[in-house]
Amino acid sequence: MSCICFYLVLVVGLAAVASNPSPYYAALGLVMVAGVGCGVLVNYGGSFLSLVLFLIYLGGMLVVFAYSAALAAEPYPESWGSGPVMMYMVFYVLGVVMVSGMFWGEWYMVFWVPADEMGEFSMARGDVEGVALMYSFGGGMLLVGGWVLLLTLFVVLELVRGLGRGALRAV
Amino acid sequence: MTPAHFTFSSAFALGLMGLAFHRTHLLSALLSLEMMLTLFIALSLWTLQLNSTSFSTSPMLLLAFSACEASTGLALLVATARTHGTDRLQSLNLLQC
Repeated sequence: MSCICFYLVLVVGLAAVASNPSPYYAALGLVMVAGVGCGVLVNYGGSFLSLVLFLIYLGGMLVVFAYSAALAAEPYPESWGSGPVMMYMVFYVLGVVMVSGMFWGEWYMVFWVPADEMGEFSMARGDVEGVALMYSFGGGMLLVGGWVLLLTLFVVLELVRGLGRGALRAV
Repeated sequence: MTPAHFTFSSAFALGLMGLAFHRTHLLSALLSLEMMLTLFIALSLWTLQLNSTSFSTSPMLLLAFSACEASTGLALLVATARTHGTDRLQSLNLLQC
């Protein structure tokens, strides 16, 4: 039953991000969504993938977002209690409830845990073995990923360079 | 449709609507662009439910690409804060500042 709670918090958390509160509160909602998403993946047996998600999100991205929330600081931040944000929130949640009502008779709760199928014969979990393939057959995509990250470094440097020499002349 | 599939589809749709509709801050638009988290969950569930373990590299690559996207968006945010002094999307509509 815990997975149903996870799904519920996932949808409500993303509605909370989408309903246009101040960036502080939106980042809080995103933390909640990321944590619950890790729980969903653990429910399906993907412990390594959920670990990666947890580290990348809470360790990497949200620190950066918390830093840049300081750039968007405002004296009176709007949480979900204030008028328009509450309206968006109610609108989104009601929309999801209506769409889930359309599918109501057709739920079926499959809960295969197939990544464990041959668990007796295997040293590691299925997703660990699959990610390790990135270093053999998936080497091309690994190189592409590294190249894209390097390219992003230069893109960021060019965007924020300033003094009229960067990619944006106005900065 | 299993509850997990409905959950990540509806969460993705919510994030997309939040990005498309009215945003006050550029930063909150970037935050709702992080709905690719649900795409990560979707690809991981594909791997885990269908037992195709060799597919489980694709969520990792998705995460790397989304890190690129987020950092480029934050660079644009910093550039906007330097030119306009604020990151409100309303001030990006002005023809002269």
